[in-house]
Amino acid sequence: MKRTQEAFSVLGIFDTPDALIRAIGEVKGKTGHRLEAYTPYPVHGLDRALGYRKSPIGGMVFVMGFIGAVSALVLELWTSGWDYPLVTAGKPVLSWEAFVPILFEITVLFAALAAGLGMLLLLNRLPALRHPMLRTRSMALLTRDRFGLAVESAGEPLDTEALAALLGKAGALEIEVVEPSPARGPASPTALATGLAMILLACLAAAGTTYWGIKLFPRVIPMVHMLDQPRLDPQSGSPFFADGSGMRPPVEGTVSQGAPPYLPRSRQEAEGLVNPLPGTAAVFRRGRAAYDTHCAVCHGLLGNGEGSLTAAYGARPTRLTAGAARELSDGAIYHVIVTGKNAMPPYASDLTEDERWAAVHYVRVLERALDALDTDFQEGAR
Amino acid sequence: MSGPAARASILESLKPPPVLSGPIRSGELDDRLLTPVGRRPPLAWFVAFAVTSTAALLGFALIVYTIATGIGVWGNNIPVAWAFDIINFVFWVGIGHAGTLISAILLLFRARWRNSISRFAEAMTIFAVICATLFPLIHVGRPWLAFWLAPYPNQRGMWPNFRSPLLWDVFAVNTYFLISLLFWYIGLIPDLASLRDRTAPGVRRVVYSVLSLGWRGASSHWHHYERAYLIIAGLATGLVLSVHSVVSFDFAVSLVPGWHMTIFPPYFVAGAVFAGFAMVVMAMVVVRSTMHLEHLITAYHLDMMNRVILTCSCLMGYAYLLEGFTAWYSMNPSIHHTFRQYIGGTYGLAGWITIACNVAIPQLLWLRWFRRNIAGMVFVSLAVTVGMWFERFVIIVSSLHQDFLSSSWHVYRPTLVDYGILVGSFGLFFTLVLLFARVLPVIATTEMKMVLPGAQPRSGEGER
Repeated sequence: MKRTQEAFSVLGIFDTPDALIRAIGEVKGKTGHRLEAYTPYPVHGLDRALGYRKSPIGGMVFVMGFIGAVSALVLELWTSGWDYPLVTAGKPVLSWEAFVPILFEITVLFAALAAGLGMLLLLNRLPALRHPMLRTRSMALLTRDRFGLAVESAGEPLDTEALAALLGKAGALEIEVVEPSPARGPASPTALATGLAMILLACLAAAGTTYWGIKLFPRVIPMVHMLDQPRLDPQSGSPFFADGSGMRPPVEGTVSQGAPPYLPRSRQEAEGLVNPLPGTAAVFRRGRAAYDTHCAVCHGLLGNGEGSLTAAYGARPTRLTAGAARELSDGAIYHVIVTGKNAMPPYASDLTEDERWAAVHYVRVLERALDALDTDFQEGAR
Repeated sequence: MSGPAARASILESLKPPPVLSGPIRSGELDDRLLTPVGRRPPLAWFVAFAVTSTAALLGFALIVYTIATGIGVWGNNIPVAWAFDIINFVFWVGIGHAGTLISAILLLFRARWRNSISRFAEAMTIFAVICATLFPLIHVGRPWLAFWLAPYPNQRGMWPNFRSPLLWDVFAVNTYFLISLLFWYIGLIPDLASLRDRTAPGVRRVVYSVLSLGWRGASSHWHHYERAYLIIAGLATGLVLSVHSVVSFDFAVSLVPGWHMTIFPPYFVAGAVFAGFAMVVMAMVVVRSTMHLEHLITAYHLDMMNRVILTCSCLMGYAYLLEGFTAWYSMNPSIHHTFRQYIGGTYGLAGWITIACNVAIPQLLWLRWFRRNIAGMVFVSLAVTVGMWFERFVIIVSSLHQDFLSSSWHVYRPTLVDYGILVGSFGLFFTLVLLFARVLPVIATTEMKMVLPGAQPRSGEGER
C-alpha cells in the first residue's frame, strides 16, 4: 500500500471577523470534516457558529475546589485535633473557625489551578510545540490581525483541491494547504525525552556530589544552626576569673536546698545514725524499687553479691546478706551509699535521702528473708 | 420622536468615552507594542537599570550580612520585635493588590479602561509580592529552615499551628503569588505567540515558542481560554479581599493595644488598593511617556485611576477616624495611651505624615486638573506611597514600643542596615519592572485588540 503524506488541513485566510463568520456558515454544511477557526483574539459568536458545547471548565473548577476544601479541612482537623493536639488560647482542639482562612486559601488555590492548568493542559492539550499550524507561513498573520478557517483531516484524507475551491468561494483571500509535522525535529518526542533525561542526570549528579561531598568531608558543615554557641561548659577554663576556672565554688557555708547537709565524715561517725523511716510495707516497696534499680546490678537481686554485671565487670561486690556485712549498722550502710566504697561510686546524686533509707530497710528485709527465724514462719502460717 | 430613538440617544450619552484615542488597527497595535520588545533599549533604560540594580545589589549584600551576623544588626529589640521587616512586608503586599484589583475585579465589572493597564499592573503585583515575601523570609532569621512552615510529615512528629494568623499568612501570600503568576502567564500566552511569530529564527524565537506553549489561536482553545480566564478572575477577586485581610489578622488577632480591632481587615484592604494604585499611576506615567503610548494610556485612564485613589483616600480617612473612635469608646487606658502615641510622643510625626499624605493631599484629586495633570498626579501618588509606608510604621512601631508592660518600653531606632534593605527592596522591584518592560509586552496586546473598533463581528450581535 502506498503511504503518502496526507494534508493536515486546508486553511483559508480572511481579513475581518464578519467574513470569517460568513465563511463558516457557507462551509459548514458542505464538508463532513472538522472545522477550526484561528483568530488573534477571542471573537464573540464563533462558539455558536462552530456549534461548540459549553466549556466543562466550570465543573472541573467546582470539583477541584471542593476537593481542595475537603483536603484542607481534613488536614487541619487531623493534624491540630488528632495527630498533634495543640491547645492554643484555651480553644477546643477542633475549633473549626480558626481553620477557615487556610481552608479558603487552599480552596481558591485548587480551583484556580484547576481552571488554569486544566484549560491549558487537559482541554487545549498544550504545550503543542509541534502542531502543523505552527509551521505554516499563515501563522504570523493569524496571531496578528487575520482570521483563518481550517478544514482539518483528523485522520481522514482530504480532497485538498475541492476544499480550496470551497474556501475560495466563501471569500478566503488566501488558501494554504497545511502539511503534517515531520516525525523528527527540535520538539519531537525523542528530543524532548533526551532533554528530560539529561536534566534528570544532571540533578542526580548534583545530588550525588552534594551527598558524598558532605559524607566524605564531614568537617565542612554547611549550616551550623545553633551548634556554635559561645558558652562555658563544666570544668572548662575561663580567663575571666582570677583562678582561671570557669566554674565557681559556692560561697562558704552554702547549704543546698531540699535536703540537710550530710555531716558524718567517716563510717564511725555515721554508725550512730538511726533509720528515720518506719518499717512499713510501702517503705519496703520503695526500698525494693531503689535497690533493684541501682544496687542489684552488682549486689544481686537477693543481695548475695551475684549481680548481672558482676561477671562482666570482674568485681567482687560485698555479699550483703552474709558475713561481716550483716553486722553493719543501718548508719554504716547509709554512709556507704552516700560516699561509695572501693570500686563502688557514691550514689548520693542518684537516690534521695528517703530512697537511701528505704534501700537500707530493704537490705534488712533481704537478710531476714534469707535467714528467717522460726517465729517468722509461725507469723506467716497464722 | 419615537420612544426607541429617544432611548437610544440616552443610552448613547451614557456610554463611557472610547478607551483609545484615534483609529488603530490590530496589526498596527502589534507593531506599536511588540516591536520595542527585544530591541536595544534607549540610554535612559540603561541608566535607570544601573541605578535600580545597584540598589538591589546593596540590599542583597545587606541581607547576606544580616544572615551571616544575625538579626541583631537591625534596630529590632523587645518589645519592638517587628519593625522594618514587617512594615516593608505589609507595604509591598499592599502594592501588589492594585494589580489583582485591576485584572480581576475590574474585569468582572467590565471596566474596559482596565485593558490598557492590566498587564503592567499584574506584573507589578508579582514583583511586589516577590519583594514582600523576601521580608518574612529574612525576618525568621534562619531562612533555610523556612520550610518548617509547611505542613509535612517529619521526624519531630509536629505540625504547624493552623490556628496562628502567621501561618494563615504563609498560605495566603503563597496562594496569592501562585495565582497571580498563573493569571498573568495565561494572559501573556497569546501575546507571546504574537511575539514568537514576529521574531526571526534564533534563541529568542525558541524561548518565545516554548513560553507560548505552541499557542495557535484556535477557536476551540479560545472557547476554554475565555471561560477559564473569567473563572480565575472571579477566584482572584476573593483572593484580593482575603490576602490583605489575613495580613491584618497578624495584628488584629493579637491583644496588643492598637492592633486588636475588628476594623483592621477592610481598613487594610482599602489601604492596599490605595497604595497599589498610587504605584501603578507613577509607573504608567513613566511608561507611557518613555514608550510613546499616550494614545493607548490616555488621560481618561489616568483619570479613572485617580478616582480610585481618591475613593480609597476617603476610606482611609474614615478608618483613621474610626480607629480614634474605637480607642475612645473602649474606655481602656492602654488603648487610649496607644492612640495618643500615634499622634504624639516619640513617633507623633509619623502619625501626622500618615494623615497628611493619605487623607489631606489626595483630596486635591477632587479637582479635574489634578486628575489629568501628570505633575499633579505624580505629586499625589508619591505622597500616598510615603504616607502608606508611614501608616504601617505607625501601626507597628508606635503600637509596640509602649505596650502593656511599661518596664520594657523602648524607643526603636532603625539602623543603616534597615534603611539599606528597604532601599534594596525598591531596587529589586524596579529592576524587575525594567527587565519586564524589556522582554515582554507591557500592554496586553491581545486584550487591546478585542476592544478595538470593528474587532467583534457585527452579525454576531444582531442575529439573535
